[in-house]
Amino acid sequence: MNESISNLPGLDAASMNRRAALKWLSRLMASACSAVIAIPGVSYILTPLLGRRDQHAAVVQRVARWQDIPVSRPMQFPIVGNRRDAWTVHPDEVVGRVWVVRQPGQSASPAEGQVLAFSTLCPHLGCAIQQDAKSGQFVCPCHKAAFQHNGEKVSDQKLGRKNHAPRGLDALECHVVQDDTTQEWWVEVTYEKFEQGLTKMVKKV
Amino acid sequence: MIDKVFDWLDARTNYREILAPVRNRVLPHGPSWWFTSGSCLLWVFVIELVTGFLLMMTYSPSTNSAWASVHFIEQSSAGAFIRGVHYFASHTLIILFGFHVVRVLIAGAFRAPRELIWITGLFLFPLILMLAITGNPLSAGQHGMAQIEVEGNIIGSTPVIGPILQRILIGGDEVGHLTLTHLHFLHVALLPFLVIGLLVLHVTQVYKHGITNDNIGETSQPAMPYWPYQTIRNMTVLAIVVGTIAGLAWTRGAPLDAPADPNLSLMPRPEWYFRCLFELRRYFTGEWEFVATLIIPLTVMLFLLSLPAIDRVFPRRASLVLRSLIVVALVGSWAGLTWMSYATDWHDAEYLASESDSSDLADRARELADHQQIPPEGAAALLHADPKTQGPLLFARHCASCHSHVDPQGKGIAAAEPSAPNLFGFGTTTWIEGMLDPERIASVHYLGKTELAEGEMVSKMQEMFDGVEGDELTKLREQLHKVARTLSAEAALPAQSEGDKQDADVIASGAKLLAGKLHCIDCHHFREQGELGTAPDLDGYGSRAWLLGMISDPQEKRFYPDDHNDRMPSFAKDQQHPDRNLLNPRELQLLVDWLRGEWYVPSASTTLESPATPIPEMAER
Repeated sequence: MNESISNLPGLDAASMNRRAALKWLSRLMASACSAVIAIPGVSYILTPLLGRRDQHAAVVQRVARWQDIPVSRPMQFPIVGNRRDAWTVHPDEVVGRVWVVRQPGQSASPAEGQVLAFSTLCPHLGCAIQQDAKSGQFVCPCHKAAFQHNGEKVSDQKLGRKNHAPRGLDALECHVVQDDTTQEWWVEVTYEKFEQGLTKMVKKV
Repeated sequence: MIDKVFDWLDARTNYREILAPVRNRVLPHGPSWWFTSGSCLLWVFVIELVTGFLLMMTYSPSTNSAWASVHFIEQSSAGAFIRGVHYFASHTLIILFGFHVVRVLIAGAFRAPRELIWITGLFLFPLILMLAITGNPLSAGQHGMAQIEVEGNIIGSTPVIGPILQRILIGGDEVGHLTLTHLHFLHVALLPFLVIGLLVLHVTQVYKHGITNDNIGETSQPAMPYWPYQTIRNMTVLAIVVGTIAGLAWTRGAPLDAPADPNLSLMPRPEWYFRCLFELRRYFTGEWEFVATLIIPLTVMLFLLSLPAIDRVFPRRASLVLRSLIVVALVGSWAGLTWMSYATDWHDAEYLASESDSSDLADRARELADHQQIPPEGAAALLHADPKTQGPLLFARHCASCHSHVDPQGKGIAAAEPSAPNLFGFGTTTWIEGMLDPERIASVHYLGKTELAEGEMVSKMQEMFDGVEGDELTKLREQLHKVARTLSAEAALPAQSEGDKQDADVIASGAKLLAGKLHCIDCHHFREQGELGTAPDLDGYGSRAWLLGMISDPQEKRFYPDDHNDRMPSFAKDQQHPDRNLLNPRELQLLVDWLRGEWYVPSASTTLESPATPIPEMAER
């Protein structure tokens, strides 16, 4: 095939340089045309990485009155906020849930550190942590990762099997604050999300 | 005449020569039933393409419309059947693929010069699995969305590139519109494109090198043309397979879960073909998890890919033994892990309960969607506004630390340590009769575990029965039954509306007893008589307004003011800041409607079944 092409009468030795140049030029132009589509194409595919990021402002919310939370019994509360989903915004929707645990001790006057709040998202793969009826521990329904009421993961020895949790429950900033008008004490939680599957808490951006 | 048309066409397109390899294909060792797996796979894939194209006409990927559009497909003419075929054919594809790989392994059909057939075929397998993974969540159902969320996190926990891939797949860091549009793109565009490309290479290679059957079946048969001797075998198998798929699609159809809702938790599990990896992960925890999800599958894949090279080292007989061992190891470990995973779940009462809840929810979602209009926000909004769905969740979250809600059979939501009345059937005649019974009122189902156990209501009821015997007792019980009917009519429960009309006389005489002989109004307020502030108001007792008020603020004068209240919190006292209350107005109404058994029931089934309320059979009259 090649020989018969190069033996065509229109091609002499002098035209060979020109031919090689034309070949390269064709390739170059084809590449340029491809790049015009390919570069924006790749950029478009990478929108979730490069494009506008939703500002993940932490939601600060008063979840419950201090007096309504029993001691040492975890209570679950929803966190309500605006949830943006690509082109729609869902106002006042439940954007997450928290477990709130009031620590044993003097409950006459609320004080810092007496209330702990944890995200219900399992640090393993993000399933919703539930409270096990029998043991009272926090247990993930997916792979049975187990946590104590202080958020630490239950050790493998205690559990009698492997605990899938890479870290303890994600502890959220939590304060007991007094309402200016009613003088009531409230538990205020700062809700944030963290990357799953890591041994350390890394905020989702 | 017709020959002339084909001649004309052939003169221009040369199609006879192009199609010659197909028309004149010869099997050097004759046809075999073993050769049918490839052809069957090909045609089932074509069925997937055709039904997939049809479904594309209606499906709409977004979180508000995905479930609704799939529900619409189910209502379309033949829609449920086509979706069913698409669903069952996808499972068939994976099963047939298993057979096909095993046949090729045993037959040693990967040997030179057929390496490319083997390699393209092996790459088709993960692509088919990815088609299934990307297809399952498209209906935006509970299971599918939970699966893709977990699968996204599995991808995300792969070292280095994981988080990037996860972000691109999910389209951000939360499952939403973009997850569905991305999955849709993968499912209907990119993956089918890649599969077709590989298939073209695979099938042309098969034509070039022929099918081989070195180790199984007769090899001494004479050469025979493919058409129709092999074709008839292929079609027989295909007919059985298609018949099975169509039968399943016709009788069972593809499942449609309830629309996904992050508020309704679930115990997500992968589909059966991934159960083995799910099980495998139990043995690799923490940072080692990618060994189970990535390294082991990848190693198996690489081993199989390099089989043509490995096989060359072994003598022919040893190779057969080796290949048989591989088949036994692959199939055995797959089956073993899968079985172990299912066995664990079948013994897990919590999982079974979660699955049964999920299936009830799916039925309810379809029932609401069938009879009501799906709003623009999507089908999940139907469940959000449904007391039957939301009531038990709200009750469990807010009330069940003190109150139980269990029927006489013991089913329902039981408080761990009940310290307040069992609210099952609250406001019904049966419930109120228990309150007016000297023994039951002091039991755990009523006031037994409250401070009111020491209160006047309990002591007055017991005094009323003191020394009453024989006919007197029967008469007193009859009177109290009338009072119970009167009070129950105050609740205006939907399930009792017919009975309340019929029993108008009884209700009127009960009202007289209540105000007169039985002295209820000494403490309670009822119809302009008695005072508020000493005991709960009997006007509209158990009605919607009464319950809304009671739950909002039990300390209010109408209910249990001052020290009359034991420890019931005020759930919606703050009218200025509804967001600061334990229950917002919407939740409060859902809870009350659920307690009263007031929710949408399709009218056709109300006459057929007993009303779907938690109210027990009314006392025999």
